[in-house]
Amino acid sequence: MNLDFSIALKYFPVLAHAAIYTVFLTVTSMAIGTVAGLFLALARLSRHGWLSKLVWGYVWIVRGTPMLLHLFFIYYAAPLFGLTLDAIPAAIIAMSLSASAYTSEIIRAGLQAVHHGQEEAARAIGMTYPAIIRQVVLPQAVRIMIPPYMSNFISHTKNSSLASVITVPEVMLTAQMIYSSTYRAIEILTAAGCIYLVLTSCLTGLQLWLERVTAYETRGLSPRRRRKLGLEPALAHGTDVPAE
Amino acid sequence: MIGVEDLYKSFGSVRALDGVSLSVGLGEVVCVIGPSGSGKSTLLRCINFLEEPTRGLVRVDGRRVGYVQEVGRTRRMSGRELARMRADIGMVFQLFYLWPHMTALENVILGLTSVRGVPLEVAARRGRALLAKVGLSDKMAAYPEHLSGGQRQRVAIARALAMEPKVMLFDEPTSALDPELVEEVLQVMEQVAREGMTMVVATHEMGFARRVADRVIFMDRGRVVETGRPEDLFERPRQERTKRFLDKILA
Repeated sequence: MNLDFSIALKYFPVLAHAAIYTVFLTVTSMAIGTVAGLFLALARLSRHGWLSKLVWGYVWIVRGTPMLLHLFFIYYAAPLFGLTLDAIPAAIIAMSLSASAYTSEIIRAGLQAVHHGQEEAARAIGMTYPAIIRQVVLPQAVRIMIPPYMSNFISHTKNSSLASVITVPEVMLTAQMIYSSTYRAIEILTAAGCIYLVLTSCLTGLQLWLERVTAYETRGLSPRRRRKLGLEPALAHGTDVPAE
Repeated sequence: MIGVEDLYKSFGSVRALDGVSLSVGLGEVVCVIGPSGSGKSTLLRCINFLEEPTRGLVRVDGRRVGYVQEVGRTRRMSGRELARMRADIGMVFQLFYLWPHMTALENVILGLTSVRGVPLEVAARRGRALLAKVGLSDKMAAYPEHLSGGQRQRVAIARALAMEPKVMLFDEPTSALDPELVEEVLQVMEQVAREGMTMVVATHEMGFARRVADRVIFMDRGRVVETGRPEDLFERPRQERTKRFLDKILA
């Protein structure tokens, strides 16, 4: 066997540049998918049966068909409707559809995991529905949603490689182009794998950080918030629970 | 202050309220007793429209609850109108329902900042005073999970009082508590009653009803079976059903 990893090093900057596309596609479509997913989840839980059914149907179709198919479909079908989409916008649309379907289910699970009494107590003091969702339900639901949400984010990052089929020059397509001219598939694929691993490791780190900042009862109030609430500083007070 | 006329509420084929009428005067304390499933909770939940009555009328402070009379028609309140109405009706739940992601003080003041638009510092000052009043000045920065049941329920009472409601509804406020924690909650409720709050209390605490209530109502199977002053109802129940219930519970 004859492996030459210096070739991987030589092309590493090219692959790293391609990673910008991977990150851009993933983050943009996750951002769109998350905002859309929140509203889809709220619609799915709505009292109006037709709205709930509509969202159910959307999730059923989008989640039940391959993202690869969505990519082709949007890229090739758009011209039929008089639209021409570049590869990147087409990829963002397709990936956002997928992200919204999956995150809507994760958000719904989180919202439903918050006990209905929480919402009821908020209604009883006269809070309106948007305020209840924002101030009472979501802060509790977010904490429950972080692990499945971040798992999905990691899957989504890897799935962005599918955008290579519609010529988005992200990591996978770039790797293929390099090894088809250098015939060094193993080395280049190893380098590409490392890039994905770095990206997904960042997400794993983000998950750890998010889990820590949302652990409200162990973190306690910030000194600034304490001051505003007129509470004495932490630990000066015997009855406060220490940070650990 | 509270008027309930011929209230019916069905859940599917189950009749939870079967024609209840009731009126509570300003500053009056009414205790509602009765076996579980008798409709006590449903009655309270209809008063602040957490539950929509199937039929009947509820008024609080002279205004119809849940509906608006307009020229020639009656329509259901919008979400915003319902919220504004509920802000004036305090409610305390059996299972507290404190918000676990907020400290005791934040639980108490959320209504002030979110519903009444009171600035945070002002709300916090009022919240601190209320927590002191229910005996929890040393627990203001504690999260609910670090509080005992009795402390949680006292926070919940302070949270309801913060809105300066016109009436307070207590839905079996001590039923989920360990026996030794019941008294501290009842004492706070008694203090609220002494200060002139109009209260409707669903409870199994006969001692409290006897001591604090101006009037006791015995409910069974969605109906008011008997109503009277506590000394009359407890000593000389007129209805056989009331007598059997009291014998069982006081035995």
